[in-house]
Amino acid sequence: METGMEEDDSTAELLRDRFRLSAISIAEAEAKRSGMEISVPVMTCVAELAFKYTKQLAKDLELFAHHGGRKSVNTEDVILSAHRNEHLAASLSSFCHELKTKEPQSERKRKKAPKKEDKSAIHITDA
Amino acid sequence: MEESTFDPDLIHAIFKLEWTRRSLEREKNESSDAMDCEVDAGTSKKSRPMSANANALKLSSKLLQIFVSEAVQRAATIAEAEGISRIEATHLERILPQLLLDF
Repeated sequence: METGMEEDDSTAELLRDRFRLSAISIAEAEAKRSGMEISVPVMTCVAELAFKYTKQLAKDLELFAHHGGRKSVNTEDVILSAHRNEHLAASLSSFCHELKTKEPQSERKRKKAPKKEDKSAIHITDA
Repeated sequence: MEESTFDPDLIHAIFKLEWTRRSLEREKNESSDAMDCEVDAGTSKKSRPMSANANALKLSSKLLQIFVSEAVQRAATIAEAEGISRIEATHLERILPQLLLDF
């Protein structure tokens, strides 16, 4: 049982590291797009936040699917998890719609306008 | 340039890990409730494996990518307002409360 736990720990660490790398590359790309430099501690911190958010999301999705009497998470559960933020939920459902309409094609790059006027509101303009 | 994003398989693996951890925890609680039974918490099988469909995973990846992008963009706005072209920890601190409320 203990060896099993160790294996779990090492796979967990591997996954976390892979996740961090992706998060850091996203953060770097995003900073470059807005013409800014970004310091390493900020990226690490954002990556860690995103990882914790992922685990929370896993819990939410499990509970939502379970509540719906399902053993599988579907797209509605994901949209539901963002329901507190209307803009985010709308953006996710339009992305979901995109996924459904052109299944075989790779996802189209969504235009995200880096608007500067409202920093507290979410920036994604949905269609 | 291709937009960088999270790999849905990676997200799936993290989700599954979290679900397994939670189901093990539940089992442990159940077995400690029934103390008089034999102690074989580790050997019992997973009772309810959770899974996720492909689109749900893609959507989750998108959600997480939006989370990271938002964090950087908002911090960039603060840094820009201060006339600094480098995002530092203080900028992240400023936007963090609202960011966490929004997600």
